[in-house]
Amino acid sequence: MVEDTTIWTEKYRPSKFEGVVGQEDIIKRVQNLTNSMNIPHLLFAGPAGTGKSTLALIVVKELFGKNWKENYLELNASDERGIDVVRQKVKDFARTKAIGDVNFKVIFLDEADALTKEAQQALRRTMENYTKTCRFIMSCNYSSKILDPIQSRCVVLRFKLLEKKDIEKRVKFIAENENLKISDESIETLYELCGGDCRRVINILQATAAISSEISSDLISTLTTNAKPADIKIVLDYALSGDFLKSKEKLLDVMLKESISGSDIIKAIQREVWNLDIDNELKVRLTEKTGEIEFRLVEGSDEFIQLEALLASFVLAGRGK
Amino acid sequence: MLPFIEKYRAKNFDEIKGQDAAILNLRNFFDNFPKKKALILNGPAGTGKTSMVFALAKENNLELFELNASDLRNKSSLDEVLKPATAQKSLFSEGKIILMDEADGITTSDRGGLPLLISLIEETSFPIIITANDIWKKKFSSLRKKCQIVDLKFLRDGEIIDIIKNVLEKEEKKLRGDTIFMIAKKVRGDVRAALNDLQSVFNLGEEDYISDISEREKKESIFDSLKKIFQGETNRETIRIFDSLDMTLDETLLWLEENIPLEYQGNALTSAFEALSKADIFKGRIYRQQYWRFLVYENFFLSAGISSAKKLKSSRFVPYKRPTRILKIWMANMRNAKMKSIIEKYARLCHMSKKKAMKDKYLLPFILDNLDKDTIKKMDLDEKEIEYINKKKVDFIILNNLNRFRLDN
Repeated sequence: MVEDTTIWTEKYRPSKFEGVVGQEDIIKRVQNLTNSMNIPHLLFAGPAGTGKSTLALIVVKELFGKNWKENYLELNASDERGIDVVRQKVKDFARTKAIGDVNFKVIFLDEADALTKEAQQALRRTMENYTKTCRFIMSCNYSSKILDPIQSRCVVLRFKLLEKKDIEKRVKFIAENENLKISDESIETLYELCGGDCRRVINILQATAAISSEISSDLISTLTTNAKPADIKIVLDYALSGDFLKSKEKLLDVMLKESISGSDIIKAIQREVWNLDIDNELKVRLTEKTGEIEFRLVEGSDEFIQLEALLASFVLAGRGK
Repeated sequence: MLPFIEKYRAKNFDEIKGQDAAILNLRNFFDNFPKKKALILNGPAGTGKTSMVFALAKENNLELFELNASDLRNKSSLDEVLKPATAQKSLFSEGKIILMDEADGITTSDRGGLPLLISLIEETSFPIIITANDIWKKKFSSLRKKCQIVDLKFLRDGEIIDIIKNVLEKEEKKLRGDTIFMIAKKVRGDVRAALNDLQSVFNLGEEDYISDISEREKKESIFDSLKKIFQGETNRETIRIFDSLDMTLDETLLWLEENIPLEYQGNALTSAFEALSKADIFKGRIYRQQYWRFLVYENFFLSAGISSAKKLKSSRFVPYKRPTRILKIWMANMRNAKMKSIIEKYARLCHMSKKKAMKDKYLLPFILDNLDKDTIKKMDLDEKEIEYINKKKVDFIILNNLNRFRLDN
């Protein structure tokens, strides 16, 4: 089951149904569907790092055997520029016949909830047009963001966050394979940091192992507290203290360094406002303003200008503090 | 060749044009010292502030003790330089004057600089002369109380033309009348700029210089428009300010964005950005719907919207800045290109979106540590990228002192 690579998330990605931890009910259902050699469209809904992509890969490997790469197209809704690109790629892929015994190909559309409602409508048409030659497996974090007509064409499977015992099992397996020393306390720390996101657990584990084969809880915390994007809070602190210029400079800096979009920044600001050390009434006012600016981000053309307008409101609010 | 600005710097009061009132005030200050111990020469660049002090020193055979903002970094350094100068008598000259040049350069980071200058004014036994472009800034309020203030005027175009003709005569060169006129118009009373321009006419040739100027005129006129928007009265003309500007509204918007915070504070700042935000909404709608009538609203919010944000108008000098954001974005893209390319390759190999892969950015140098040949080939990483990953890793380890966790050393 071990892939030939040094990147652990790939190396330890299960390639058989039996290797998957957690999600027992889903595995059983998907395994049954796959054994019939004729799967319906599938919709995998659930949080990151719970095995959606892994399961999609297992399904195609089971279906097509060594020919799986020829019969499988992986698309990422959040990376493709617009639904037209998605449609074109689907069209090109679906035009040729499947190679091997199975008479359809599989398209995995990851992060399908990144598509707008209009794009999903278009996608639904595409699904219908190619239903003879293609099966879709879609993944999303929230099934509520997927149009009902698409959901009704799919078997919807809901993935849960992995439980602690599942994470523990996986971590111990990897540790043994890689000759790592890891205490129960460290596993606890890992679990606390990642919740049930198995990809993140493995990534942190590998990053720590690159520094020392003795995985201490202290090392894990040191690494993860420093390995995260700069804080948006400092931007707000500058604004509230009245220094608009510093605040906008820092904002641009964070956005450019981390390649964060304006809409992600505004989400971070919205979360941060409630934690600020200011009057509750002011928090309410600023949150209202934040909401207004989030709306304008969609309507406007230049995200940064909208965010600057928000910072200016923070500067003013800071005066009355 | 000596630059013209040095070669033709006014050496005595006769050579300083158009500042007769200021010269009179300066002489009076010196003659009545120590009635007032310090004097501020306040005025735009290139009007002769520094030359005037040099001329004063020459006329009275004084030793000139020169300081500039970079000397004024902190209390101890200023103490060291200035104290002996104020306390000792000059060896060769009759007396001494102290010149604090370009006081605008004293930033808030020069902690103690301003208060120390003030205390020196109280103690000094020699006249102190301070030059500044804008002494009416808030930070100078306590300094102003200690000093006599003398304002210098912009030179008139005619006076600039006289200066240029004088230099041409000495250099034994000739220029077309309209070129001379053009230089005078362009520099707006800044003698130093006039001398610099004159020199570039000789270096570039008359024709090239003229085409170069029209390029720069664009910048000049945006400065004018900004001043009208920020400092002028909001009236019926306000919404037409950008009409005569040879610049797209989109570019104008960036100039406004960059310079609003230099002009407005508090309520005005918020209102101005509110107007800018609304202009941007209409801009977005124009792009999406291709409905060009919305330009009217974009223009309205950019002109009248921003102009009316401030009720009390001022006329202080603000050095407007060229928009820098687009350049910064471009530079950041260049800098991030390598990381982005690596992340893209990593995302493809590990079946995830770039966006999701981006979240592993900081762990990536460790995850991609010591990659096997197969994976490198599969990811299609080149040597430079591997080097980059390694460097990021080492940087991170050192920055966060992670070596203490390593067993092997």
